[in-house]
Amino acid sequence: MNASNPIVQVESVTRKFPLDHSFVTALDHTSLVVEPGEFLAIAGPSGSGKSTLLNLIGCIDKPTSGRILIDGIDTGALSPARTTQLRREKIGFVFQTFNLIPVFTAAENVEFPLLVQGVSPAERRTRVAEALESVGLAARAHHRPDLLSGGERQRVAVARAIVHRPALVLADEPTANLDTRNATQLIELMRGLNHRLGLTFIFSTHDQRLLEHTPRIVRLTDGQVVSDTHETSGAAIPLADPAFTPAQIEGERHGQVLAARIS
Amino acid sequence: MGKFLLLAFRNVFRNRRRTVMTLLMVGGGVAGLLMVGGFFAFMFHGLRESTIRNGLGHIQIFTAEHFQRDEVHVLDTGIGNWRQVAASVGSGPHVRGVAPRIEFYGMLSNGVKSSVFMGSAVQPDIESSMGFSPHLVSGQDLRTNSGGEVEALVGTGVAKSMSVKVGDGLTILAVTADGALNGIDVQIVGIVSTGIKDLDDRYLRITLPSAQRLLQTDRVTNLVVGLDNTDNTDIVAARLAPELGHFAQPMVLRKWIELAAYYNQVRTLFSGIFLFLGVIVFFMVLMASVNTLLMAMFERTREIGTMLAMGTPRSWIIALFMVEATLTGVFGAIAGVLIGNLLGVALNLSGLHLPPPPGTDVPMAFKVLHVPSLMIGSSVLVVLSLALASILPAIRASRLQIAEALAHV
Repeated sequence: MNASNPIVQVESVTRKFPLDHSFVTALDHTSLVVEPGEFLAIAGPSGSGKSTLLNLIGCIDKPTSGRILIDGIDTGALSPARTTQLRREKIGFVFQTFNLIPVFTAAENVEFPLLVQGVSPAERRTRVAEALESVGLAARAHHRPDLLSGGERQRVAVARAIVHRPALVLADEPTANLDTRNATQLIELMRGLNHRLGLTFIFSTHDQRLLEHTPRIVRLTDGQVVSDTHETSGAAIPLADPAFTPAQIEGERHGQVLAARIS
Repeated sequence: MGKFLLLAFRNVFRNRRRTVMTLLMVGGGVAGLLMVGGFFAFMFHGLRESTIRNGLGHIQIFTAEHFQRDEVHVLDTGIGNWRQVAASVGSGPHVRGVAPRIEFYGMLSNGVKSSVFMGSAVQPDIESSMGFSPHLVSGQDLRTNSGGEVEALVGTGVAKSMSVKVGDGLTILAVTADGALNGIDVQIVGIVSTGIKDLDDRYLRITLPSAQRLLQTDRVTNLVVGLDNTDNTDIVAARLAPELGHFAQPMVLRKWIELAAYYNQVRTLFSGIFLFLGVIVFFMVLMASVNTLLMAMFERTREIGTMLAMGTPRSWIIALFMVEATLTGVFGAIAGVLIGNLLGVALNLSGLHLPPPPGTDVPMAFKVLHVPSLMIGSSVLVVLSLALASILPAIRASRLQIAEALAHV
């Protein structure tokens, strides 16, 4: 990781999807800067563009216009093979539906990113054990996903996302399929990993439980950033979208606007 | 690589019902090919051995001239020093015996009716020692020393046409080596069925001395070599070929496969039928597998998207699908070989017979041979078919848009 660069720079990104004979604009000239070690939530109602933004940051989709830099690398200029390599080495993913490989055990699921990276078997064993230990699932290492609870599965997914020591972990609605107890545990786990390992977490959510533990919240509405708040002090300040009122933000969280880029 | 293969192996069995259906389909194809191919192999083997034992022998020796020109006079391209050649050839390994033969033709008559015959003159004791005894439907085989009588065997068709039975007499007429017409009276001692109707209608066999007296010659047409095992034909032929060139009268050999025209025709025909069946099985497995593998791909769309998101190279996804399909083919082939062999054993124990094939009047045993090369060939065919079938689903899987794949329900 290059310490002088933000880990993520989203510069005036627009993403349009074709629909019949027209287009739907999922992101509209959105900009965002994320520094290394941040724990950042992207919040907003359904259809606001949260997942689209995460997909673009995760290099699994391409913007219609604008530029995205990951650790200083312009992802738009990369070949497909280099993009794959970037994802493999710098990004970890946690999905709403866990997305574990059902025929693999928990340990084998966690091992998979290392396998793809060509890490030696001995090194893989050590790092898998560490990752499972860090999510409290060492004792469940040899269980297949269908023998794990929802919370355990998501913790395996987190272990899988961090095992190759990425610069950035992206989590799309990670608590959406969890009950309150498991959601709380997962939030604490992710926050702990963020603190202990200095991992950058960016996740999309509309889960209030998660937002309460999040120091920085970027809110999207209709594909635009309407607020970008930080927990240091004060209230979140609405940005461009008049539908997203200060009162709403105040009701959810105390924060301070760090950056807002509305095009 | 180990984990990658493990993933492929487990994926093969993740949907057990579908896997069982696929294995049954692949295994059924292999078993079917083994049954059909095994039956054809049994048929070829039976036809081969009967062709050889009906008198063709494993190797035949002729003068080199025999294949270079037509005879002006009877036996003028025949073997003169045949006793010396027979002694030399007969002393080698794997040789059970060497039988001198005269192949000739002429007319036979019962005093009322005449008919053309295709004659063969043999030494009965040598033929018998080599296992070349004719299939007698009545009477007995020729005797080497029959006293003053000239004994003859005739085919069932000849006996019927000439209205003769064992013990009756016939007169045979032929052109001698000098071009004159000669005739002798023979007594029928046996009636023979070769299994081939056209041959039975012209079949006549007498002893070699009788034929030499009839044709006024000491020569023979050819020497028929009988071996201990048909599989040794090539070995013995390779040894004999150079030796035969050293005699005063240069000689050449022909292996049974070069002389067995009917066998070769049958084999070519049935090999073509088998090839056609193989192509059908290949495409059936191919088409059904493409469908199954595409279903598997759609079911695993999100999983593939996840793997791609984690930076798995697209080539790995292609390899994963192809390895899974290949493994399915291997398991299906193993199942097919087991099923095919079990069915084969059951069929062989059943004692079933098929009606006589065209041109013969002997019911054919319905048996299959267990042929290792057929098992390997059928297995390779279905594994190849599965591997080919996986290409389209594998490429489609590898080209999935990751974001769309992750949103797949």
